[in-house]
Amino acid sequence: MGAPAAPVGVLLALPQRVGAFLLALATQIGGVTILLGQILRRLNPARIDRHELFRNLNRMGVRSVPIISATAAFTGGIMVVQAAPFVEQFNAKGFIGWAATFTTFRELGPLLIGLIFNGRVGANNTAELGTMQVTDQVDALRALAIDPIAYLVVPRVLAMISMMVVLTILGDAIALGGAMLTADLLLDVDPRIFWASAIERLETWDFFVGLIKSLLFGVMIALMSCYYGLATRGGAPGVGRAVNASVVASAAGVFIADYFSTFVLD
Amino acid sequence: MIRLEDVHLAFGDNTVLDGVSLEVPPACIYALIGPGAAGKSVLFKVVAGLLRPASGKVFVDDEELGPLNEIELARVRKKIGMLFQNYALFDMNVAENIAFPLRRLFDLSEEEIAERVAERLERVALPGTEHRIPQSMSGGQKKRIGVARATIARPPIVLYDEPTAGLDPVTSQKIYDLVQEEQRAQDTTVMVISSDVAGVLTIADRVGMLHEGRLIFDGTTDDAKASTDPAVRQFVHGLTEGPL
Repeated sequence: MGAPAAPVGVLLALPQRVGAFLLALATQIGGVTILLGQILRRLNPARIDRHELFRNLNRMGVRSVPIISATAAFTGGIMVVQAAPFVEQFNAKGFIGWAATFTTFRELGPLLIGLIFNGRVGANNTAELGTMQVTDQVDALRALAIDPIAYLVVPRVLAMISMMVVLTILGDAIALGGAMLTADLLLDVDPRIFWASAIERLETWDFFVGLIKSLLFGVMIALMSCYYGLATRGGAPGVGRAVNASVVASAAGVFIADYFSTFVLD
Repeated sequence: MIRLEDVHLAFGDNTVLDGVSLEVPPACIYALIGPGAAGKSVLFKVVAGLLRPASGKVFVDDEELGPLNEIELARVRKKIGMLFQNYALFDMNVAENIAFPLRRLFDLSEEEIAERVAERLERVALPGTEHRIPQSMSGGQKKRIGVARATIARPPIVLYDEPTAGLDPVTSQKIYDLVQEEQRAQDTTVMVISSDVAGVLTIADRVGMLHEGRLIFDGTTDDAKASTDPAVRQFVHGLTEGPL
């Protein structure tokens, strides 16, 4: 006798789960697309709340500088530490400046800063909008005849996108400082050699590839964090779920955007 | 004037409003009562245009909300002040909360705004609290700040959702007195949701009772007290025996 046949319920469970997942995915993609359309409508003609924009530029950008600086400095250093054995083995000290700069500008800078930005700013944004949603503050804005997209979402999205780019430039510079210092201390590479190597081999486009990526990551994090915040339901536990979903979806979106943009921009 | 005609609304399989028709005359205090989850707060959101019914018509000042888009609805919402059940106060100080609609919707000088805020705070018995943070204040004080924000733009219609929930009897009566004084002073049309039936009946001109999404009673306060409908009688008199 063979193994007993699986009950019909078990056989149906997998397609049901796949179907539910695809439906949820379609709902989220549709929701984010509708939100993007609503934002673009408010930008033509531009109706931007300047007070909210500057408030968000400050708390999302300026207040992120310490954590971005620390992360970037150590990342630059770690990059050189990891490369050190090979640099010594192949006597490639003349390439370390170029390698660090190329990697930072094209990949590590925007990606790591994007992930830190997602954890700090994106998560906070979802939590704040989610709390406003479940405590009726978003409905209160509408009841006061104030458009929540124009007042809450547009300034946050603009602030997140612009600050992601600015923080990437800052982070790139600090990461290279960390790399240069570590190369000097660990490999005895003179800073002049480090920079000469970078300037000699680096192309301007390498820098702009990173900036374009950071712009894409900023759009991704801004849209996801606002969408999940405004879609929050179910009180305080719902806010927790929304933050979790937002951070995971944004991080996944950042990696997917990175993968495809690397192909396109190369 | 507020009028609902055969309004239906459901969230998924859950029917929340099931053919509700009612009319709130101008300059009247209309109390909306009913057990929990009867659809009272949802009905308020329908009146304010925050939720669209699946079918039926909603009129505010003889203007039907159904065909209006969000921008046109915002124009109607300027006629409505709303106090939310859980305050819905923003993360800013008392003065900024109360002045919020004035700053956003009217072209007033800072002096005028400060004067209006001070007048509202005086009216809700919270003078001098402009710079306090609502999160550090009591439930009764937050309700009063909510009343001040809902009425500062002098809207002709005001909706109060559970203005006395969780408050002690003395504070509750003060809030009811405030609602009534405000209505008399501004000649506004007022709808009040309250689980405190005895309290709200002291100020209401008319009463409607929602039960399982249906309006099972609509009449004067005296009619409500004298109703022989078992559910209305049980709820209005707070009886333990009955269909509820």
